[in-house]
Amino acid sequence: MPLLENLLRRKPVIWTLILLPGLWPVWPLFVTKDSSALTDPLKLILHHLGFVACLLLATVLTFTPLRVLWPKSGLVQALNRHRRLVGVSAFAYAAIHYSVHLLYEGGVEFLPITLKADLSKPFLVTGMSALTILLGLSITSLHAAVRWLGGKRWKQLHRLAYVAAALVAYHQAAARKVFPMQVIYIFGPLVVLEILRIYNPRGPNAQRSTLNSQRPSSLT
Amino acid sequence: MLIRSPKEWELPESAATPESVYHHRRTFLKTLGFGLAGAALTPRSLFATTAGFPTRVNPNYRDPALKPTAYEHITSYNNFYEFGTDKADPKPNANQGWKTEPWTVEIGGLVRNPTKIDANELVPKMGGAEQRVYRFRCVEAWSMVIPWDGFPLAKLIQFADPKPEAKFVTFTTFNDPKNVPGQRRPILEWPYFEGLRLDEAMNDLSFIATGIYGRPIPNQNGAPLRLVVPWKYGFKGCKSIVKIDLVAKQPRNTWQVMAPDEYGFYANVNPQVDHPRWSQASERVIGEGGALGRRQRTLMFNGYEKQVAALYQGMNLAKLY
Repeated sequence: MPLLENLLRRKPVIWTLILLPGLWPVWPLFVTKDSSALTDPLKLILHHLGFVACLLLATVLTFTPLRVLWPKSGLVQALNRHRRLVGVSAFAYAAIHYSVHLLYEGGVEFLPITLKADLSKPFLVTGMSALTILLGLSITSLHAAVRWLGGKRWKQLHRLAYVAAALVAYHQAAARKVFPMQVIYIFGPLVVLEILRIYNPRGPNAQRSTLNSQRPSSLT
Repeated sequence: MLIRSPKEWELPESAATPESVYHHRRTFLKTLGFGLAGAALTPRSLFATTAGFPTRVNPNYRDPALKPTAYEHITSYNNFYEFGTDKADPKPNANQGWKTEPWTVEIGGLVRNPTKIDANELVPKMGGAEQRVYRFRCVEAWSMVIPWDGFPLAKLIQFADPKPEAKFVTFTTFNDPKNVPGQRRPILEWPYFEGLRLDEAMNDLSFIATGIYGRPIPNQNGAPLRLVVPWKYGFKGCKSIVKIDLVAKQPRNTWQVMAPDEYGFYANVNPQVDHPRWSQASERVIGEGGALGRRQRTLMFNGYEKQVAALYQGMNLAKLY
């Protein structure tokens, strides 16, 4: 455990963990030359970027409940050092995902059709709204923004990340003709942790650690 | 400075056959009887219906403007939920011991000549197989151009001799949860079933495919026989049919049962009527445009307006989607 903890404290390790899954499409496209993936490579990339964005958003949201539940765990403390980095990377993946979406939908020539659909179909509106929220949260993750807003207001604003997660879970489920189980794998653990956090068995201690977590992450 | 010595197997770009030449070569080979070679070289056990090959090209359905999608794409990018929900699933999963030969088809319901017949005996009865190049448009907004081999559905229906009260035709896929993994999970209502209005089924475009590119149809594409209705979304094309019935009332169809607000009975390709979750105004053209791919505007009735628009005169296509 101390080794893992030590590793997870380091920024380069987290950077690697964030960047590696983004490179996954390289495998079927260039290494195994999977004929099904090569049929529409951009589609594979589009879906994969969205998948990683979902994964990172769900992951960063588990950091707070983990800290509430296991405040003394070194592992949890190590993870909580990287809240901003992981959160902003979820936005970065989502932003590239959306750019690829514009390209996939036909680029400039089809832009009017694409934007019309983006703003009218619940499947796409939810994705757009989540992206907008993540953009706002990324901008206000700068130290200057935290100071300008004040800790309390900053905290309230950043609770929108939960709204983004709910929107994204819908968006991901609606992307397929039948319900994709990955939505459960990605967001299930987060839901479980949040339920545990609400029914925290640690009594009064729970109150104190909740107060601790009120502090904006960028200041910790 | 990095000096790279080429491997002996590396070819300069100039040695590669230009794509246009390559495609012409294929067309040339096909007309020469590529089908015959394909059917003869492939072991029978791999494919189901081998009767009727080589097929003859039907010149009425060979629009020179349509460039057929590569065989590799057509046979490795499939929606066949019985074998998994990913496009890559059916190709490996449908070729692991699932048998499509021998295969019996039952034609019944409101007909004077109900039949139970082996697929290989059926094809000669239908006058053999012919090849037609059709557009294929999936409800998920992607498209292909597929050279299908088979026979017109109308021939089969005439053979069955419908009674006057027959107004619709239903198609049912096999039900084999023992050997087919997807059917053990309640993803859809199994077995998959589809339906057409009798006049739609009698339209000359409606087709029963037993092959692709002059070769017996691979399992993942719906061996040994499947429905092809090119002016409708791909899900209407019921695969691996075991039963065709003529009925009096409009039947349900699998996807309509699954999500009635998203998939209707008609499922006509229509760029003006969107899917509730995405636009149907355009489509990805599979296998075109390199890594970025290509998108094109979707045509009314998938480009078959002349042949089928009359079937739907006076109907509100936004309601009867």
